[in-house]
Amino acid sequence: MLRRLAALGATILLAGGNPSFAGAASPAAQGSAQVNYKIMPTVRAQVVPNYLSGFGPTGGLGSGSTPAAGASAVLGGGTVDFGNVIVGYQYLYKYAAQVSVQTNDSAGFVVYGEGATDLNGSNPIPAPATFPLFQTLYWLVSGAGNTPFSPATSFNRTNGNPIAGGAGGIDYSGVGGKPLPASAVWTYPTSGNVSRGYDYELRLSGAIPTSQFNVYIVYTVIGN
Amino acid sequence: MRRTNIFALLALAVLAALAVVSQADALQAQKAYKEMVVTIIVTPSPAPVGFLRPAAPAAAPAAAVAQFARLVADPFAGPAQIASSPSAWDVAPGVTVAQASAQPPPVPVQFVAKPDPNAAFIHIVPHTPTLYAPYGITTFTCVFEVYTFYTNTYNLTDWGYGTSKTSGSGSGTFPIENYSMVSYLSWAVPDFSPTFRPYNNAGPPGETTWSGAKGQAQQHCVDLTLNVPNSQPAGTYTATVQYNLYVTLP
Repeated sequence: MLRRLAALGATILLAGGNPSFAGAASPAAQGSAQVNYKIMPTVRAQVVPNYLSGFGPTGGLGSGSTPAAGASAVLGGGTVDFGNVIVGYQYLYKYAAQVSVQTNDSAGFVVYGEGATDLNGSNPIPAPATFPLFQTLYWLVSGAGNTPFSPATSFNRTNGNPIAGGAGGIDYSGVGGKPLPASAVWTYPTSGNVSRGYDYELRLSGAIPTSQFNVYIVYTVIGN
Repeated sequence: MRRTNIFALLALAVLAALAVVSQADALQAQKAYKEMVVTIIVTPSPAPVGFLRPAAPAAAPAAAVAQFARLVADPFAGPAQIASSPSAWDVAPGVTVAQASAQPPPVPVQFVAKPDPNAAFIHIVPHTPTLYAPYGITTFTCVFEVYTFYTNTYNLTDWGYGTSKTSGSGSGTFPIENYSMVSYLSWAVPDFSPTFRPYNNAGPPGETTWSGAKGQAQQHCVDLTLNVPNSQPAGTYTATVQYNLYVTLP
């Protein structure tokens, strides 16, 4: 944010406070001065997984089983853990993550959210070891009426460089310094201290192998 | 332990093992079903628009116009300017100022994908789960395929899910809509007929997609056409269709 006080029209009372002018016979020393200054913008952000009581998966309609959050999911932290899910079905994970932003940037900010990698399979390791994140894991703003079939937007796999497999975030220095425009999940037009909650949807195509899958979703906030 | 007890226990163990192994060999009920979710992104262009010529703006007073022009020409004009920054820019044009950013710790996500016990009888192979649709009618080829098989005769039926005639949200929004409105999404199985039919949105019993003979495995493409009316705002929508496999139990 850059502010320029283009014409500080207020009168600068040089004469009144300056002895050298006090007794001078010159005309009144009054006028305008231009002062340029800038306030450096600051942006701070926090992300809280499983941010509200009642978090966890629903859905799997037709699979014959009822999903339940895995052991790694704890209120206010941990992992967005869908637990056991059935290939070929759709799930909604309520209250998956809450993003909070504090900024003095009067132009607002953009929050991006994207996967550090594709879905990494383990236990057992499938072949290939990864499955596309795109069109498998989706996000939508939390709402009481959300279902596993609510309109949602797919997460993208980043073009940046995942740090420590994504556990350390994503380095965007080699890709223009910011995430993909398509990965924007929230655009806010002004400064403030604001929060937004997100649900996740899992839509498992029949092609996904049976395995345990993991991915890190990285949120990046950039001031406008 | 007496020998008869041992035999009884062995028999129970064999029965339990058979029950587990044979679970995938037959459906446990007359019906198995799958939901197919298609994401539809209605693109804003070429949205039909009307043009209304705006009214001419009120003319500004001549004095105000002149004063404004003077200010633009020289913002610091005045009888006694004492000090002024030599540059009108605090950052020269073309110089990029670093944007403030923050990246909190990432959110770990995990799940354990388990096999579908009914996949041997019905499953869906998605090809284009997201459709980008302009206004008007657009045809999408082989959006997904449906596979069916059973050891006896069967029927595959479908209906739109989440309408006032089914469970789910019941909202019946675009494109499936609520009965008695006609769905904006239509389907065809070109292996059988090129004719598109609007998706049934009246709930069960739905409409027959195809039938199968005893032991017949078949997999067919489903083409879709989507009609986006001019009144539909651009945005992201979903269409959820339930495919039901009804089998004749032996």
